[in-house]
Amino acid sequence: MLSTRNSRSGSQPQGSQGRHVTAPGRGRRSRTAGTPRSRLATAGREPMETSNRELQAAEYLERHRIKELVSYLTSALLFFRPEKPREYLISLLERLRIAKVTGVAFPFFMDNSNIVAMFEMMDPSGRGTISFVQYKEALKTLGLCTEDEDLKDDGHIITLDKFKEEVNKRMKEICEKTKGKDSESYQTAAGLLLLH
Amino acid sequence: MDSASAPHRIPPEMPQYGEENHIFELMQNMLEQLLIHQPEDPIPFMIQHLHKDNDNVPRIVILGPPASGKTTIAMWLCKHLNSSLLTLENLVLNEFSLMATKAKRLYLQRKTIPSALLVQLIQERLAEEDCVKRGWILDGIPETREQALRIQTLGITPRHVIVLSAPDTVLIERNLGKRIDPQTGEIYHTTFDWPPESEIQNRLMVPEDISELETAQKLLEYHRNIVRVIPSYPKILKVISADQPCVDVFYQALTYVQSNHRTNAPFTPRVLLLGPVGSGKSLQAALLAQKYRLVNVCCGQLLKEAMADRTTFGELIQPFFEKEMAVPDSLLMKVLSQRLDQQDCIQKGWVLHGVPRDLDQAHLLNSLGYNPNRVFFLNVPFDSIMERLTLRRIDPVTGERYHLMYKPPPTMEIQARLLQNPKDAEEQVKLKMDLFYRNSADLEQLYGSAITVNGDQDPYTVFEYIESGIINPLPKKIP
Repeated sequence: MLSTRNSRSGSQPQGSQGRHVTAPGRGRRSRTAGTPRSRLATAGREPMETSNRELQAAEYLERHRIKELVSYLTSALLFFRPEKPREYLISLLERLRIAKVTGVAFPFFMDNSNIVAMFEMMDPSGRGTISFVQYKEALKTLGLCTEDEDLKDDGHIITLDKFKEEVNKRMKEICEKTKGKDSESYQTAAGLLLLH
Repeated sequence: MDSASAPHRIPPEMPQYGEENHIFELMQNMLEQLLIHQPEDPIPFMIQHLHKDNDNVPRIVILGPPASGKTTIAMWLCKHLNSSLLTLENLVLNEFSLMATKAKRLYLQRKTIPSALLVQLIQERLAEEDCVKRGWILDGIPETREQALRIQTLGITPRHVIVLSAPDTVLIERNLGKRIDPQTGEIYHTTFDWPPESEIQNRLMVPEDISELETAQKLLEYHRNIVRVIPSYPKILKVISADQPCVDVFYQALTYVQSNHRTNAPFTPRVLLLGPVGSGKSLQAALLAQKYRLVNVCCGQLLKEAMADRTTFGELIQPFFEKEMAVPDSLLMKVLSQRLDQQDCIQKGWVLHGVPRDLDQAHLLNSLGYNPNRVFFLNVPFDSIMERLTLRRIDPVTGERYHLMYKPPPTMEIQARLLQNPKDAEEQVKLKMDLFYRNSADLEQLYGSAITVNGDQDPYTVFEYIESGIINPLPKKIP
């Protein structure tokens, strides 16, 4: 029972830079359900305190999506190759911070023209469809689906519209989860994606 | 996206930029700090960390038995590196801290303070501006494993740990001659380090507790504790013998502290081997290519291959070879670029030798973007080169190459028919060497961070020197 709950929470899509808030109710429930067992487990593992710290550290990285952030920063640095890397990093981080605070959609989100461009890259011959494997890889690259998630291959070919629809749907999910449906960032992000 | 079907081609500017600006180390340090402090709001923390810009300031710990000269070395290093010195005394006597006044009372009573308090004092002191900006040197702390662990849990990690060591008898004797200047706090010695000015001499005091018995007791305690402290700093520790003149110890400590540790940064070696003819460049290049799977690019070889394959460049080069004139630089560079731009060179790295011959070629290479990240000069004295080259022979029947001194032919019959390559005649060798030495000064100036290796040893020793030059980060030049 615990495992399915964890897999659902694990499928939270990556890609948003804000703090990822797991629905508190769900987290609390799973923790109380596991407490007696986990307490016994840690009692047996007491001498290996370092592994506990490691788990804690891994959980911290996961919670704040540090790996994605660092990966994004490094890629930006290597791509733009600024003269002064530290200053450039500081400016990027400042922009991120402001984006989080004011809820303005950060240039990091994909807009519609990018999605079309991506689709066209994957479909160079212009047939209008892409294979299921490509579709899954594309979603992974955008950070909209995790490694373990099992996308169902319903045998239908994936057209541009279906691709757009799926990307939009997942983006909305992220915005909902991080800021809630009434927040500004949800409105603006959704607007950017869906309107044009 | 489609990484399954077509491999990613990373333009070579990216790894070059990454290496030059030490991007990997920058990111690694930032991540380390994030994980140590685990702030609730990572982004402002990261901004603050980047503003501090103190990844490379000295963070040194100096440990050692009493009378080993710790304080002297620590003070000299401080002056040289312009960092802050932290000892038990000056932590406790700090007037600006409330905790310190509390600790001072305990210190004056018992000469030591509890570890928890000490570590808190250290933490407070290290958060101050001067330590953050200019680095710090801890003298004699941590003394016990408990202190070491407490410091570690606070996230204070030194980058270099120096442990001085000397035989106990030497230390006991040395301690008897210790004298302290009460005004500056500097330590002098009656035999080894006597101050020249007479006014300092007059005010020197004999410190208490330097009798043999007391020193022996302190040494016992030290030996008991240091064994447990050393394993806390596995890769950053260096043991320096204190049984040598102070100045030697200081210089060893200084070079160690200014060297960087090996990092996990991705590194594609682009090695340039320079040296006169016969210095062993091709051999070293072949060894490097074999061991590290680099691409061995020998300029002369490239040109000959171009001619043999009868490519367009080959046709252009042929007349120069026939007339025994040097191939013009522009043509040479085109052939080189063709080879160095190929995917295997970019991905695996290369070892280049035979070029550049002079400053112009070197500038051309740089302008084309092929900057080597390790340059080696192989120095071999003239006589060795003559010996190596003029005694080379080749057997025309089997094609085997022999050397009359290092690899003599097995039978007299073979020896009788050996021939010498006219290129290896003494005159030719002298000419080529002169050519090299005329240009070497310019090249040495251009490649400021080049490493000079003594080429006059057996090939595997030279190879080991070259290897260590490649694997270790480039040493920082002392300003």
